[in-house]
Amino acid sequence: MKQQIPLVLVFVFGVLLAIQYFVPSEPSQRFYEVALDGLTVIGIFAMVLGIWSQIHVGYNKIKRRAEDWQYSVVTLVSMFGMAFCGLSFMGGLNGPIFRQLYNNIFIPIQAAIFSLLAFYIASASYRAFRARSAVSTVLLVAALLLMLRVIPTGPLADPINQIGSWMLMVPNMAAKRAILIGVGLGSVATALKIVLGIERSYLGKD
Amino acid sequence: MKYIILLFLTCLSLCLSQALLAQTASSDPPAEAALVPSEPPAPPSNVRVSDLANDDGHGIRVTWDLSPDDGAGRSSVISYDIYRTLNPNDPDSLWKKVGTVVLGVRTYADRGEREPGSGSYLPKHTNLYYRVYAVGAGVRSAVATAGPAQATDDWFNTMKVPELIFCLVFLVLTVRFINMAKKGIDLYVRPLAGIEAIDEAIGRATEMGKPILYVLGIGTAGDIATIASFTVLGRVARKVAEYQTSMIVPCCDPVVMTIAQETVKTGYADAGRPDAYKEDSVYYVTSQQFPFVAAVNGTILREKPATNIYLGYFAAESLLLAETGVLAGSIQIAGTDQVSQLPFFVVACDYTLLGEELYAASAYLGREPLLLGTLKAQDYLKAIVLVCMVALLALRMITGADVISKPFDAPWW
Amino acid sequence: MTSKIAMRILTAIVALIFLVSWITRSGSGMSDSAFTNVRDGFLITFAVFLTLSIFSFLYRDNPFYKFAESLYVGISAGYWMSYGFWSTIVGNFVPRASRSLSEFFHVPYQERADHILIYIPIIFGLILLTRLLPKIGWLSRWSLAFIIGATAGLNLTRYLRSDFISQVSNSFIPLFVDWKGAGDFVSHISLAADGQFIAILSNWVIFVGVMCGLVYFFFSKEHKGAFGVASRIGIWILMITFGASFGYTVMGRISLLVGRITFLFGDWLNIL
Repeated sequence: MKQQIPLVLVFVFGVLLAIQYFVPSEPSQRFYEVALDGLTVIGIFAMVLGIWSQIHVGYNKIKRRAEDWQYSVVTLVSMFGMAFCGLSFMGGLNGPIFRQLYNNIFIPIQAAIFSLLAFYIASASYRAFRARSAVSTVLLVAALLLMLRVIPTGPLADPINQIGSWMLMVPNMAAKRAILIGVGLGSVATALKIVLGIERSYLGKD
Repeated sequence: MKYIILLFLTCLSLCLSQALLAQTASSDPPAEAALVPSEPPAPPSNVRVSDLANDDGHGIRVTWDLSPDDGAGRSSVISYDIYRTLNPNDPDSLWKKVGTVVLGVRTYADRGEREPGSGSYLPKHTNLYYRVYAVGAGVRSAVATAGPAQATDDWFNTMKVPELIFCLVFLVLTVRFINMAKKGIDLYVRPLAGIEAIDEAIGRATEMGKPILYVLGIGTAGDIATIASFTVLGRVARKVAEYQTSMIVPCCDPVVMTIAQETVKTGYADAGRPDAYKEDSVYYVTSQQFPFVAAVNGTILREKPATNIYLGYFAAESLLLAETGVLAGSIQIAGTDQVSQLPFFVVACDYTLLGEELYAASAYLGREPLLLGTLKAQDYLKAIVLVCMVALLALRMITGADVISKPFDAPWW
Repeated sequence: MTSKIAMRILTAIVALIFLVSWITRSGSGMSDSAFTNVRDGFLITFAVFLTLSIFSFLYRDNPFYKFAESLYVGISAGYWMSYGFWSTIVGNFVPRASRSLSEFFHVPYQERADHILIYIPIIFGLILLTRLLPKIGWLSRWSLAFIIGATAGLNLTRYLRSDFISQVSNSFIPLFVDWKGAGDFVSHISLAADGQFIAILSNWVIFVGVMCGLVYFFFSKEHKGAFGVASRIGIWILMITFGASFGYTVMGRISLLVGRITFLFGDWLNIL
């Protein structure tokens, strides 16, 4: 019961939705929509589990006075504070305080974290440029050529630009195709393993 | 570090200089004004209506022969307007305009909604009548009417025959290789450095007394890359339990967290140590990309995991995570099917599983015959593709005829 | 102990700078209302504080980063809760589930013949919540089974065209573009980007690249001999691609930092 019913559900929904792709009729389309709704609606209910997990982890940390427990207080207070500001009588998603918090806390931090990528790409480039093998030298040369495209290199600018564009258009396309064909096969194989019950570790054991 | 800063400043100055050198693009010339004809164009002829193929029963295809003034004659046709009604005797005002196509087009697919309350509802199994007008500048032609036609359901989409053939071939190959594997025939798989490193990395974590961080990416449970990552997580959890070390699995989606909890729990149970599993080791952070990254980065620097495993769907956060892992001195193994993120993992991580390798990882770790069977089936399909590519291109070079371009797009079957 | 004292001194300095910035920005406010100026002064100073706290992570983990991170995660979770409720539940689900609920939330009710079907996912959703009750928690696996089964079913067939068939189909390209014989080819050879030589070279690179890339992804055959050579060419093509993508992205990422620098030096310090 604990193992068999979930496996049957996986098989039934897996097979039905795989077949549905080939069947354009109205009942088939409605079934597809219900399945997509199902994924969304279950996601909403799962949010309760997510919030519960956050509270549980935070509360345990605070209760045990674990290292850095004070920051769990900040997280929980800001979470409930933000959710409270999003309530109906506070104006919902368009409430003034909700928008202020979003625009003046969320957005600046988001932009700052995103901009960290500039520093990280610099340090990653530094590491990439210490080519350790022939293969990484190939990567380095390709990366350098593309970077040189934005530098004023006088008479070399045109050829560098053309080689860079060609690399983005041609070898890039070939490699992407090879990867995508592999990904297509791999995802079908994974889906098949799930539907046939060959992979079942996600369904628990007891 | 000073090299990094120097390099970064160089890049920054280059970027700024490039921005200064940028020139504004010239604006497009204004379009020529259309000529205004004094007479309406000739109407289209031979209007036909039929049920739209491969649909859910709420579509009609309308076809016609072009107006003599479309691209010829007075060249006065700009577009065609298509109208629909339930009763051919309705006055003009009751005919509903359902679409417009530009000159030169001879067909229109009238796809309606399924809900009767919807504005563009198209009823099923009901007689429908259509009118087509050729439209000139401010004038339209005399009417060309056709009908009735009824929209009906189709139970197989004939455009999807290639996918069906592919699925059947794949299924047959998989079943065949699974049977072979069950009979004990040895199925060879070549070594994959990224996978072999997982065992080594777990051993390292045990020696160092540090945890293993496993990140399933920012995808939802609806992403097949996340599902593939679950299959690897189960096996990693099992090894972690066997080695008696600990693991941290922060999640970006509550459903992913729930499935990950079950998966890790199963891994611990498989290793015979169900009591060692801690529910809080698999936890939800938040569903947004950058807050998730901020929290995981903090965890990496605070916990200093011996090994970071990033497998699943990743976007811009790939580099943020991997570079922080480098700062923390962790061994890093990554894998994703996102082609745009692979370069960052390749540069920053010790081992990277490229695309399909992510999907093969569970078979490698498990070494179970059933899983190796699917891997073999994948390889056979690749071999079929390679042989077809060479054979068909050779055929084209010999015959000179373009018989194979876009072979899957037209319904040649 | 020394680090604690240093941390306290640093916190005091940050607090002082924060106060000075707040007062200065409030004083230079454009609004007629003193409250608005003080509020705006605080908000921009706080935004700057958070930005610099995040940047401080580049040096090492520290209390400022921890604070900004915790606040960010909390705000994000709260935002997601509100957004999920208003956008997904009220915006998407309520209008299809019940007329009275739609009236309560002032959203237009969508009359649908199959609206009863929306309750099937709700049942699965409720079953998922049994996870919180240890005795019947195993029931939640039914919902997980639905999610996993549906995802697998959708992925089994749905992306075949984009990920597999289209890629294979587009790889059938002519290897000798506009071929009129070797003599004609040699007499007209040029390195122009739109010339015949480059077109033929590009198509060969694509064809060989796809073939060798696929060979690299073979798992059940040892990469030795001719197969090994093809596999090596495959990995080289992959590395060229990764290098090109990496180099292409560098400038885009730096422009993100330029945006933040503009915020700090322009919006806050008014020196840009």
